[in-house]
Amino acid sequence: MITLTVFVPLAAGLIILFLPSVRSGLIKSVALAGSLLSLAGSVVLLFGITPTSSTAITPGANNLSFEERADWIPSLGASYHMGVDGLSAPLIALSALLTVVSLVFSWSHRERVKEYFFLFLLLDTGLLGVFAAQDLLLFYLFFEVALVPMYFIIGVWGGERRIYAALKFFLYTRVGSLAMLLSFLALYLSTSPRTFDLPAIVKAQPFAGNFVGGSFVLLGLFLGFAIKLPSFPFHSWLPDAHVEAPTAGSVMLAGALLKLGGYGFIRIALPVVPEAFNSYAVPIIVIALISIIYGAAVALVQTDFKKLVAFSSINHMGYVLLGIGVAGVSQASAANRLTALNGAALQMVSHGLLTGGLFLLVGILYDRTHTRQIAAYQGLWQTMPVYSVLAAIIFFGSLGLPTLSGFVAEFQVLLGTLGVYPWAAALALVGLIITTAMFLWTLQRMFLGKPAVVDERTSVPEPGQATAIMPLGKDVNNKTVKASLTPHFLPEINRRELTALVPLVALALLIGIFPGPLVSVINDALKVLPFRVLAGG
Amino acid sequence: MNMEMDMGVELAKIIPELWLASLVLLLVPLSTLLPQGRKDSVTWFAIGGLLTSLIPALPLLGQRGQLAFGGTYTVDSFSTFFKLLCVVASVIVLLMTLETQRGRRAEGEVPVMVVLATLGMELLAGSNDLALIALTLQIISVPSYIIVGMLKEEPRSGEAALKFFLFSATASAVMLYGMSFLYGLAGSLNLEELGKKLPGADLSLVVVGLALLLVGYGFEITIFPFHAWAPDTYQGSATPIAAFLSIGPKAAALAVLVRTLVVAFPGDLAGWPVIIAVSAALTMTFGNIVALWQHDLKRLLAYSSIAQAGYLLMGVAAAGRDVLAIQGLLFYLGAYLFMNLGAFAVVAAVESLSSSVDLAAYRGLSRRQPFLALSLTLCLLSLAGLPPLVGFVGKTLLFGAAIGAGFGWLAVIAAINTAISLYYYVRVIAPMYLQPALALAKVDEIVSPALDTNALKKPVPPVLLTVIIITTALTLLIGIFPEPLLALVKLGTGLL
Repeated sequence: MITLTVFVPLAAGLIILFLPSVRSGLIKSVALAGSLLSLAGSVVLLFGITPTSSTAITPGANNLSFEERADWIPSLGASYHMGVDGLSAPLIALSALLTVVSLVFSWSHRERVKEYFFLFLLLDTGLLGVFAAQDLLLFYLFFEVALVPMYFIIGVWGGERRIYAALKFFLYTRVGSLAMLLSFLALYLSTSPRTFDLPAIVKAQPFAGNFVGGSFVLLGLFLGFAIKLPSFPFHSWLPDAHVEAPTAGSVMLAGALLKLGGYGFIRIALPVVPEAFNSYAVPIIVIALISIIYGAAVALVQTDFKKLVAFSSINHMGYVLLGIGVAGVSQASAANRLTALNGAALQMVSHGLLTGGLFLLVGILYDRTHTRQIAAYQGLWQTMPVYSVLAAIIFFGSLGLPTLSGFVAEFQVLLGTLGVYPWAAALALVGLIITTAMFLWTLQRMFLGKPAVVDERTSVPEPGQATAIMPLGKDVNNKTVKASLTPHFLPEINRRELTALVPLVALALLIGIFPGPLVSVINDALKVLPFRVLAGG
Repeated sequence: MNMEMDMGVELAKIIPELWLASLVLLLVPLSTLLPQGRKDSVTWFAIGGLLTSLIPALPLLGQRGQLAFGGTYTVDSFSTFFKLLCVVASVIVLLMTLETQRGRRAEGEVPVMVVLATLGMELLAGSNDLALIALTLQIISVPSYIIVGMLKEEPRSGEAALKFFLFSATASAVMLYGMSFLYGLAGSLNLEELGKKLPGADLSLVVVGLALLLVGYGFEITIFPFHAWAPDTYQGSATPIAAFLSIGPKAAALAVLVRTLVVAFPGDLAGWPVIIAVSAALTMTFGNIVALWQHDLKRLLAYSSIAQAGYLLMGVAAAGRDVLAIQGLLFYLGAYLFMNLGAFAVVAAVESLSSSVDLAAYRGLSRRQPFLALSLTLCLLSLAGLPPLVGFVGKTLLFGAAIGAGFGWLAVIAAINTAISLYYYVRVIAPMYLQPALALAKVDEIVSPALDTNALKKPVPPVLLTVIIITTALTLLIGIFPEPLLALVKLGTGLL
């Protein structure tokens, strides 16, 4: 079942490659069918997880459902070992959903359709594979398979500085993943018999009592996952990549790719080197807090809507790292640590839905006016009411309003943190306040007031229409762009855009109002792994 | 015992080598007798001969090794693996020359020289005696000068051959000087005798002898700072010949380096693992950093191949300390064979269509030659060590060997280098995909006026296309399913 879910998108992608380029409708249909099948598979996985209560809980025991195992490279102790639990299944479903959303949103895409849809499907397979892999070498393989398509998506279909942004993204993540590879190798070499099998390594705890070795392994893993997350000070690739990426690319990047970092921390870093993690928990928490406050503060001053969303991602992913850091403090109470880690895992799902939504919102406006400047929009509430309602829901979700998914996740992280390090919770709260201010202010600037908009394509004001001349920030040549704000009625959100956006909003609401089922699925998994390793091992 | 019978037994051990020697003798008259226009038959004949030489060689894989000719020569799985490797490399190179040398001067002589050099490489990989090593290195070098200098119409070609010759001669002289030290210390040139005597000899002299010896080996492997000939020589030679130099002599010299170090310098004598580890770090760093500025694809691949030699040396440094080391070395050589020759084959194809090896010729290639662009991308990403391509598995093995051997710092340097190398590989990939072919005409007028933009739309010559398909497919397939090659490599790790 896992194999099917993971490889259906790739199969669809390969079929696409053999279709004639002119039949773009057929190409899109095949791609969508592949991603929908994979989404269906992921839903089966999500609902088919065996509850933990029915299996014996032993420290480090794996609690995988739908497990598959086959020889891959027996001479290296690497096997095709796949399995899902309550941590990975929601993320698999999220990635599959975001792929469908991206493809739907890209339905009107015209330029090099075949390659475009193929790369999204390849990306999908890579992402699903990472979340399902239970073998470090296999994990690494999928991790990098997800990297290459993103390079091309940004590089081929991106904005003006796409080549620079794509390369920066590629190099940054590659440095991280190579550091991670060295750590994987160290783990492989120190486990006897040598193996890349993750559950076996977790069970063996090869670096127990070896502080120096454990620290190096953690350093490598930290680089790999923190760059992906991205956490301060490794975040600088993110704004560039997002600003240049096409909308659907941003959705995948922020919604799904960033989750690889958080997932890696929980699935690998915490369980394999718990002692080292404990020793460095405070620095990790501090880095998380810097990301939270820095991300929020920098987002606050952005004039570009897309950059604002990008920096808010750094803020939101900071909560993920905070929750993970708190969970790594082994002398703290188990309940607090579990709560924080639960929050971190849920935050990943929630952020995937909300940020995916935010990037779609940016893309919808950009497609209409070709500008992303916040100052270029005003009073959208009156011209695009449906769009505005959806936008408001997503904004409120992102600032952590109760009844939306962001609240549940951030609340859990803060609650767990409060019990362990009250000062950290207080600082995180500062970040939350800034984020709230930032989203509310943006909401006020763009959606309230008299309807007016700058359309760069028709930026020459017609006589009698210009109402104000305002600076729109700097363009690529560092020249101040001035354009006139004209009363203009933007076309309302269309069916394609609505189809892409509504599922994300609906799920964010659903999880916000009924968090119980998802929380218990995640909690079930974390109780066993990695949490039991820390508490009971 | 009867001396003649002995000789018969000894000769029976080296049937594959004798086969190649006879092939050379057959090819020499054939290459001159055949009329111009039919010269490609010589190449086909050489390819057939090379492939059939594997028939007597392959059963030796996994067999217990044995000595021949009074201990001067070894026939073991390790050298058999290299025979296989060198023959496959030479066959691929000859297929490439079929297209690029067609109708040119010396079309008939190229296969003769390639086969002769291949014979030299096979002999080198099995040599167990310093004198034989010095001799076989010359059997590789002499035909190499000739094929490098064969492009008489190009002034660069002569320069390349001369530079190659001068460097090679100097390196050989220094190496022979080093051998004289070792002979003085041990009273023998046999590697096993050296291994028995050297540990008791004056350490400082052993170090001097080893260092001088490494100059000669380092020349073939392109170890920094003995690599200087490579970029100019690659650039000046025909593309398939550059491809040949980047894999064949390098592989054979690595084989003999491992044998020399492990057999003649036992127990990390003279601290050779550290010496090799440091050379590995310097070689890969130098190659990768200089490659960043290259515009000529052949020079870029030359520096890339220097860097790759650095990764391979990691396996040598860790040999004898971790089982992954020799496996990694052999696997990576196999991987390097396909991905590197694949890249060279695409360069040769683009060159044959557009007469250019400049980066500018690759702009928008994905539109006009989607398959070439895809193949080159896969080969370069494999050289950069990205999964699921064969280079990734090789790098994983070598990194693992370095960590397992206690050279964690080397693995870190190699990882940083791998990240750096991505930059210049992407510099080739980006123009093919990210820059529109539409702007090409305008750009080309500025960058290289001679470039015929329409020429790239012509179909790729079929033989070249076949080579590209095979190498690329193997780069991908072995990357996803590395077990068969790994099993072969394991058979090949049997050092005598």
